[in-house]
Amino acid sequence: MLPRIVKAAIKGVLYFVFLYVFPIFLISQVSGFAPELFAGYGQLLNLFVAVVIFFVVASELTSGTIFQHAFNVGKAIILMIFFVLALNGGIVSLNLNVEGMPINVWADLRVYLMMLITIDLLGLAKSILQAVNFLSEKTEQQLPTPQPAS
Amino acid sequence: MRQAIRALGWATNVFWIILLFLTVTAVYSAFQISPEFGPYAMTAYNGTVTASLPFYIDNGGFYDISNLNLTTRIKDNRGTPISDSSTFVQLIPRGSNASVTHNMSMSISQMTTENLSYLLFNDSTFYVDIALKLNYANAVPFKISTNSTMPWGAPLSNLTLDRPNPTPMGAIVPLSFENHSFFELNGTMRLEIVDNTDHVVGQTVAVLNVQPQSSYGPGVYVSISGDPRNIRKARLTFQTTVFSYGPMVIPLV
Repeated sequence: MLPRIVKAAIKGVLYFVFLYVFPIFLISQVSGFAPELFAGYGQLLNLFVAVVIFFVVASELTSGTIFQHAFNVGKAIILMIFFVLALNGGIVSLNLNVEGMPINVWADLRVYLMMLITIDLLGLAKSILQAVNFLSEKTEQQLPTPQPAS
Repeated sequence: MRQAIRALGWATNVFWIILLFLTVTAVYSAFQISPEFGPYAMTAYNGTVTASLPFYIDNGGFYDISNLNLTTRIKDNRGTPISDSSTFVQLIPRGSNASVTHNMSMSISQMTTENLSYLLFNDSTFYVDIALKLNYANAVPFKISTNSTMPWGAPLSNLTLDRPNPTPMGAIVPLSFENHSFFELNGTMRLEIVDNTDHVVGQTVAVLNVQPQSSYGPGVYVSISGDPRNIRKARLTFQTTVFSYGPMVIPLV
C-alpha cells in the first residue's frame, strides 16, 4: 500500500506542477494584458486541476482493482462535460475593460473543443477496453484448469 | 485486446501532445500580433465627409490570419445610422504584415435630405461601433469589438436671422452662424426676403468663406422693395463645396 501512496503523491504533485503552476507562470509571462484576459478562467482552471488530480490519485491508489478503470472512465466522462461547459459549447465571449474602453472578445472554439472531446473519447475507449480486459483476465484466472482426458 | 489498448494509449498521448503544442503556440502567436493605428485624417469633398484610419497589423505569430474584416458603424445620438464602412483583407500570412486604410464615409447630402438635417445646425456626439473579425489559423473565427464616441461639430451652428434693419440704401439683415465643423464652408448663400403676400421683396447672394471654428456675420446687405413692415419670412439656401441645403424658411416676427 505504501508504494502506491508514494506513487500517487508523486503523480499528484507532477500533475499539479504541469497543469497549474506551469500554465499560471506562462500566462503571467506572456504580457500584462493576458492576466485580465484569463482572469475569468481562474476558477475553471482550479476546478480542472482538482478534478484531474483527484482522479489520477484515486486511480493510482486503486490500481490493480476494477476501481482503477472505473475512475479512469469517470475521469474521461467528467472531463468531456467539463470541457463543454468551460468552453461554453465552443463559443467563448469575454467582456473586458481596457483603459476605460469596453472591449468584447468573441471566439469560436468549436474546432478546438471537438479535438479535446475526440482525445477524451479515445481515453474513454481505452479505459473501457482496460476494464473489459481486466475482468476477462480475472475470470480466466478463476476458471478450473482443464485436465487432460484419460 | 492488449494491442488495441496500447494503440489507444499511444494515440491519446500523441494527440494530447499535439493539442498542447497547438494551444501553446496559438496563445503565444496571438500575443505576437501587434496592431497599430495611425492618426486619422478627415476630408470633405463633393457631399461626402471621409474619415481615413490607417492601420497596420504585424502577424509575428506562427499562424496565418485570413478573412480580416474591419467594420465601423456610425450612429447619431438617436440611433440613426449615418455610416457603415468595411475593410477586408484576404490574408496576412505568418511573419508578414499588412498596411490598410479604413475609410469611413458620411454623406452630408444624406444629412440634408433625411431626418439628420439637425446635424447641420446642432453639435452632437456620434456613436461609433468598431468590430474586427478574422479567422485565426484557419480554424478559429475571432471577433473583437468595441464602441466609442466622436464629437460632431455643426457647420451652421447657432444660425440666427432677424428682421432687416432699414438703412438709407436698403436693409441689413442680421445673420450669423458658427462653423464648428472641421471643413471650410466655401460657396454661396442665397437669401430671399418674402412679404405677407408671398412675394420676394429682396434678395442677395453672399459668398461664403468660413474657416473651421470661426463665425460668419454679423449680417448681409439686402436691397428691399416695398414696405419693410410687410416682411414676414426669409428663405435661405446654401450651396457649398461640401453640401447644398435649402431653401429653409425662417419666419421674421
